Amino acid sequence: MAPVIGIIANPVSARDIRRVVANAANLQIADRANIVLRVLAALRACGVTDVLMMPEHGGIGRHVARGLSRAAAHGEAPYPAIHPLPMPVTGTVADTHRAADSMRRAGVAAIVVLGGDGTHRAVVAHCGAVPMAGISTGTNNAFPEHREPTITGLATGLAVTGRVPEHIAFAANKRIDVSLDGRVAEIALVDVALVTERYVGARALWKPDSFRELFVTFADPEVIGMSAIAGLLEPVTREESGGLMVRLGAPASGTAASGVTVLRAPIAPGLMASVGVADWRRMPAGVPFVPEVKAGSIALDGEREIAFSAQDRVSLTLRDDAFRTVNVGGCMQYAAQYRLLTGAPAPVTAEL
Amino acid sequence: MTDNPYPLDKADLLQAYRTMRTIREFEERLHIDFAKGDIPGFVHLYAGEEACATGIMMHLNDNDRIASTHRGHGHCIAKGVDVHEMMAEIYGRSTGACRGKGGSMHIADLSKGMMGANGILGAGAPLICGAALAAKFRGDGGVGITFVGDGASNQGTFLESMNLAAVWNLPVVFVVENNGYAESTAMEWAVSCDSYIDRATGFGLPGVTVDGTDFFAVHEAAGEIIRRAREGGGPALLECNMVRFYGHFEGDAQTYRAKGEVESLRANRDCIKLLAQRLTETGIVAPAELETIDREVNALIEDAVRCAKAAPLPVAADLLKDVYVAY
Repeated sequence: MAPVIGIIANPVSARDIRRVVANAANLQIADRANIVLRVLAALRACGVTDVLMMPEHGGIGRHVARGLSRAAAHGEAPYPAIHPLPMPVTGTVADTHRAADSMRRAGVAAIVVLGGDGTHRAVVAHCGAVPMAGISTGTNNAFPEHREPTITGLATGLAVTGRVPEHIAFAANKRIDVSLDGRVAEIALVDVALVTERYVGARALWKPDSFRELFVTFADPEVIGMSAIAGLLEPVTREESGGLMVRLGAPASGTAASGVTVLRAPIAPGLMASVGVADWRRMPAGVPFVPEVKAGSIALDGEREIAFSAQDRVSLTLRDDAFRTVNVGGCMQYAAQYRLLTGAPAPVTAEL
Repeated sequence: MTDNPYPLDKADLLQAYRTMRTIREFEERLHIDFAKGDIPGFVHLYAGEEACATGIMMHLNDNDRIASTHRGHGHCIAKGVDVHEMMAEIYGRSTGACRGKGGSMHIADLSKGMMGANGILGAGAPLICGAALAAKFRGDGGVGITFVGDGASNQGTFLESMNLAAVWNLPVVFVVENNGYAESTAMEWAVSCDSYIDRATGFGLPGVTVDGTDFFAVHEAAGEIIRRAREGGGPALLECNMVRFYGHFEGDAQTYRAKGEVESLRANRDCIKLLAQRLTETGIVAPAELETIDREVNALIEDAVRCAKAAPLPVAADLLKDVYVAY
């Protein structure tokens, strides 16, 4: 039996205030559906015949069904069969949680995710050891790589059908566990920011005066968002152990006497902000960090999620090797080196 | 002294709570009185949606115009229309905001920038484009806000108005109050996209979706969008996902809703409870202060009903008065 792939396409990512306070993009539903079709075609070319898909009411499924009907009318079969997961649709992040959980229990070989950092975080929270292939359709997209989705589909197909050795096909990723009163309440894939606003509000972060502390799993100067602050100070790769923590302060206090330096960082699409940086240091894996901020809100991967007060005991622990992703670059390089895409495509068998 | 973590001072936070409680009490009272047969015509209640009107209207002044919907009581109250005049209007009395001849779906008060509730779905959008064009010509910094439900957003007027506002770069904010039902039709049966943001994008407008049951989410997003419009940044769309505690209209049997849906919404997504909880748990406001507001609001609504019932009905000689209005 050929491996089954799960697809989770979030119809409601990339709708937040950064369309107004910055100049973030909005990927329309038809475009998201086209991405799904591109992925499906690539998966089928690798021999994948069945896909489980998260149901939604956003219209992605309808657009995809049109593409499948049209292909069928032409007598073509360029896509795998799609099986919607039997689950209620709430239009909230709970759908992503439930779908990831169901796909894991169904034994899918990988989950292809369309969304931003928040959607990917929601999948990781429930997918267990199932590898994820991320496609950026969100706002900052610090976690999912910017790449043509057809290639992500091809790499996923090659990886799950066993044509790329596992040590090349999949990569380990870090995450930060956020504990409240000793219990892991949330996770972050890229960054945890502590800000002084004690309300979630419009969620996004765009007011540097409120930034106080930042913890990142990787620090890449080529991404935007909170992680960019760390990336422009001391890059930390996705592959190496541990991350970085940065103490932040009001940029207005950025004088020589205050010990705060001002960094100009792209904290949202097209939004360069002056951020006050007090100091930074490495964040080793497995060591709990207790933030200095005693009340405010915790932003996960760029969005305020949890308001907390002095009564709440907050700690953050970075975990190496926390979840797996498809190594798209590695798969495609291997495919080229060993001519994996030569010859006629045929369904293949792989262990689930 | 407790540090205030919110973007509003205590007086404004209490005013937000008072406004939301006034809307809720107003609607709860209409729900009861309509069932008794005391009120002529139809009423469509805004209970459950208070955070949206309040969070938006706190950024406006009397110079700013709004165009409302058939479900307009909350917009009126949040924009500052007199509650006694509103109640009298709904009771059809000559002391009403429109002399008792408009009823629930035609309450207007131009002195407050309230251009009217509107019984025609989607009809507020072109009106607000005109008001915004006037503000732009005057250069007075005024903005126009129009509200539509998820059903009315399918109307041609709404789509044409977004085009017009984009072409003329008008200071307009299109607010989609998405309570999940167009009358009795859930949006997935009637709307071709997940989010109204897609539609705005088609006309070149930025769009933002927020949790419409979270006062602070609405307030923060609306503040940025309205400021952008005032500064000449042009029109935008704000979608508030919210909940409706009553039917489409009073008397609606709501057979299209799941069993226990409303009870669950009232227990978990009541925007007033959520605001009260946040204000008191941070120590900014004492529970007793909110209870005082509750009592004052109850007395206000009770008095508004008493005055409305005691007021005279319009007489036949009033029929042709106030047919046209200049503004």
